[in-house]
Amino acid sequence: MALNLRQKQTNCIIRMLNLNQPSNSSGNANEEVYKILIYDKFCQDILSPLIHVKDLRKYGVTLYFLIDKDRKSVPDVPAVYFVQANQSNIQRIIADVSRPLYENFHLNFSSSIPRPLLEDLATGTLKSDSIHRISKVHDQYLEFITLEDNIFSLAQKSSYVQLNDPSAGDRDIEEIIENIVSGLFGVLATLAVVPIIRCPRGGPAEMVASALDLRLRDHLITKNNLFTEGGNLGSSFQRPILCIFDRNFELSVGIQHDFRYRPLVHDALGLKLNRLNVQGEKGAPRSYELDTSDPFWVANGSLEFPEVAVEIETQLSKYKRDVDEVNKRTGGQDGADFDGQDLIGNTKHLMNAVNSLPELTERKKVIDKHTNIATVLLGEIKERSLDSYAKKESDMLIKGGIDRHELLSVLRGKGSKVDKLRFAIIYLLSAETTPQSEVEAVEVALRESEVDTSAFLYVKKIKSLNVSLASANSASKNNIVDWAEKLYGQSISAVTSGMKNLLSSDRQLALTRTVEALMEGRPNPEIESYLVFDPRAPKSSSGTSSSHLKGPFKEAIVFMIGGGNYVEYGSLQELTHRQQLAKHVIYGTTEILTGGEFVEQLTLLGQKMGLGSSSIPSAH
Amino acid sequence: MILGRFTLKCLLVDYKVMARSRDRTEDFKDAARSAALSLGFSESKVAAILASFIMHKPRQRSPFTKAALKTLESIEALEQFIVKHRKDYVDLHRTTEQERDSIEHEVSAFVKACKEQIDILKNRITDEEGNSKAWLGLRGDNSHVDTVAHKHGVVLILSERLHMVTAQFDQLRAIRFQDAINRAMPRRKLNRVANSESPDILKSNHLELREPEELPAEPLRVQQQLLDDETRALQVELTSLLDAVQETETKMVEMSALNHLMSTHVLQQAQQIEFLYDQAVEATKNVELGNKELSQAIDRNSGSRTFLLLFLVVLTFSILFLDWYS
Repeated sequence: MALNLRQKQTNCIIRMLNLNQPSNSSGNANEEVYKILIYDKFCQDILSPLIHVKDLRKYGVTLYFLIDKDRKSVPDVPAVYFVQANQSNIQRIIADVSRPLYENFHLNFSSSIPRPLLEDLATGTLKSDSIHRISKVHDQYLEFITLEDNIFSLAQKSSYVQLNDPSAGDRDIEEIIENIVSGLFGVLATLAVVPIIRCPRGGPAEMVASALDLRLRDHLITKNNLFTEGGNLGSSFQRPILCIFDRNFELSVGIQHDFRYRPLVHDALGLKLNRLNVQGEKGAPRSYELDTSDPFWVANGSLEFPEVAVEIETQLSKYKRDVDEVNKRTGGQDGADFDGQDLIGNTKHLMNAVNSLPELTERKKVIDKHTNIATVLLGEIKERSLDSYAKKESDMLIKGGIDRHELLSVLRGKGSKVDKLRFAIIYLLSAETTPQSEVEAVEVALRESEVDTSAFLYVKKIKSLNVSLASANSASKNNIVDWAEKLYGQSISAVTSGMKNLLSSDRQLALTRTVEALMEGRPNPEIESYLVFDPRAPKSSSGTSSSHLKGPFKEAIVFMIGGGNYVEYGSLQELTHRQQLAKHVIYGTTEILTGGEFVEQLTLLGQKMGLGSSSIPSAH
Repeated sequence: MILGRFTLKCLLVDYKVMARSRDRTEDFKDAARSAALSLGFSESKVAAILASFIMHKPRQRSPFTKAALKTLESIEALEQFIVKHRKDYVDLHRTTEQERDSIEHEVSAFVKACKEQIDILKNRITDEEGNSKAWLGLRGDNSHVDTVAHKHGVVLILSERLHMVTAQFDQLRAIRFQDAINRAMPRRKLNRVANSESPDILKSNHLELREPEELPAEPLRVQQQLLDDETRALQVELTSLLDAVQETETKMVEMSALNHLMSTHVLQQAQQIEFLYDQAVEATKNVELGNKELSQAIDRNSGSRTFLLLFLVVLTFSILFLDWYS
């Protein structure tokens, strides 16, 4: 039973578009065939990777609007709303119902609408005496964006900054944890599974895991809940494992340059919600769609860039050969033989050719698209010499250090400011101990290139604090009262463990190794200290570790708090392909960040700590 | 520890009332009842409101929607008809050629009727649009914009549905053509083989006949030989004629299939070209309007320039005058 998140989410959306009626009621469906879809900005992001606009018509949606747009009345038609449950949307809905803009209203909220908002809605519509227009109110539990079959994002911005902010209050952190838990709950409700939760000790991961466990327990008390809708009884062998990690577990993956096709397109060209905007050949910006419907992207997303170029070449030559063959057969040549047999064959070939033309044009379009993307990418790579960055960074991470001369020459060489900053940070993370002189030389080189060094100083501070706090942490646990500081300390110890993992010879990510170990369930010193939560088990037995909780798992959901990217996704997919048993891993994160965006968040943190080279202190 | 305390606190506050299922309409009704009571509605009114949730008033539909739903019904009836007769149509032995032709005829008549209905709907939209514009004196009432767009969407959905159904039927028709061609081909092959065999047989017969009949009268034999030759020539000619006729038959069948295929493509292209043409006409109109606006702007610009110049000159002279005066 393979969990296909994208399929399940699409099914939920289709059910919503069919007005949440069972799909086989044919006579009833005729009554409400044509409808209008209204969504807000967040839900537009949810819908866009899943359904194309032209497919909406298949489900009878004639028009689709943003909720904030000024809309005119369309009498006699039902309206389907798919919005987030917040105050402004509710007010807007009340205004729409009161006018009234449409005949009746089917309201769907992307997460569970809290009781006070529901009462606001009722009061508002009662006042305008139009409450009878609201036909149905549903919670869809779909507050996450599924990009491909096995990768999702909660689209919660700047969660890393907020969680690691030294000045953040308890209330703020609780709110963030709350949002993450509700997003994860939505994912689990859509998949209709109750997993076994494992996480490393301390830090946001533990907080999220325990909060999620409590929420699931609370929910499972009633018999007829969301998780019995899917009919999944949850025997231990079928239950997946949910591994929650914090970004500080392996900081380098979020920053380094990678040279594979998909991470490269995301990092260098800015892939957002499977859409890419590049400069075309004639200078006109073109927008491309890169998702599971593109066979080339699916097949070659994880290859290194030079191999991708070779692959494009082979596809192009194959296409040319096919086109030549079609031309030959259908009389593209000069002589038309009037031999009876051949003419009959000729017309048959003509028919085949006409039928195969659409397929050939599709292939040509795909090849053109990727050629265009590869050309633009090549330009970027040459300009910023991304290939040398990627290679040197991976060397650094494997070897654990770099020649000082080489380091400084790279910092003075080609590349954008962000690239140099990322390189410097990877240098800090790769070496166990960095002599002070080298670090200073690096800082000087960075300042020469006019790079804002806040992020670098922040990582340096974290690293240095680790040396001093490691011993203090174990001794004075009881003295730490401030919640944020304790969180801070935990993140530092996590950083050191992450760094130690980087020094292993195999270039496998620490995340992948840990997930593999957790899925196999064999005793492993690395994961010994990990906590286990089982929402289905009764509270009393939470102390004892039952055997089935640690057994081998066939499916896993890996969640990274603070930001993830396609590199981690790629390496997790490699894991599934490597194993002989069919394993299935779904990867999720609070948001998908490019290296540049993540470094921006580190810069923000550095500035908040007052480390920046910019003289203006950040006021908050 | 601290962890547990904090999380439990926040959870207990927020999750007191949690939804258990996706359908929240019952919760909404509860909220409506409590809100009505708090607003001070009378009991009967509250009861009426709650009743309206359960029993919906029968909806009046606009004539446009009624017509659209009727067209949808007819398209679905067409689809069911095709599905019902699919086996009869495709299988070679269940129906005769005439029955198949009649099925085709019926289907095409049905498709034409549906297409007419869709066209009527489309014309109705443009008529209503034109009427409302004339009534309001070309002021361009915006409030119907969305309704018009919705109606266009409905028509588009209907025509796409019809297109899908006709594509299905075209596939069946293609299968029928293929069968017809295949039937024609082996017959030719069979004839060819038979042809090549028969001269041999004739020759061998001839050889056989020759031997025992060497003695009977010569002139008789010559005559018979002549006759035989003639019949053989006739036979060959007739078989070759038959061959040619069958070839032409298959060629015709193939050509009609190709023709049909081409015509669908050409029709699609024609529609696209028409659309492009309309857009181009609109674009020229826009360009014209733009040109007008530009010329107006230029006039105003030059007008304002002269005014400014005049103003400055007058000011300069007045300053000089005042200077000379004092």
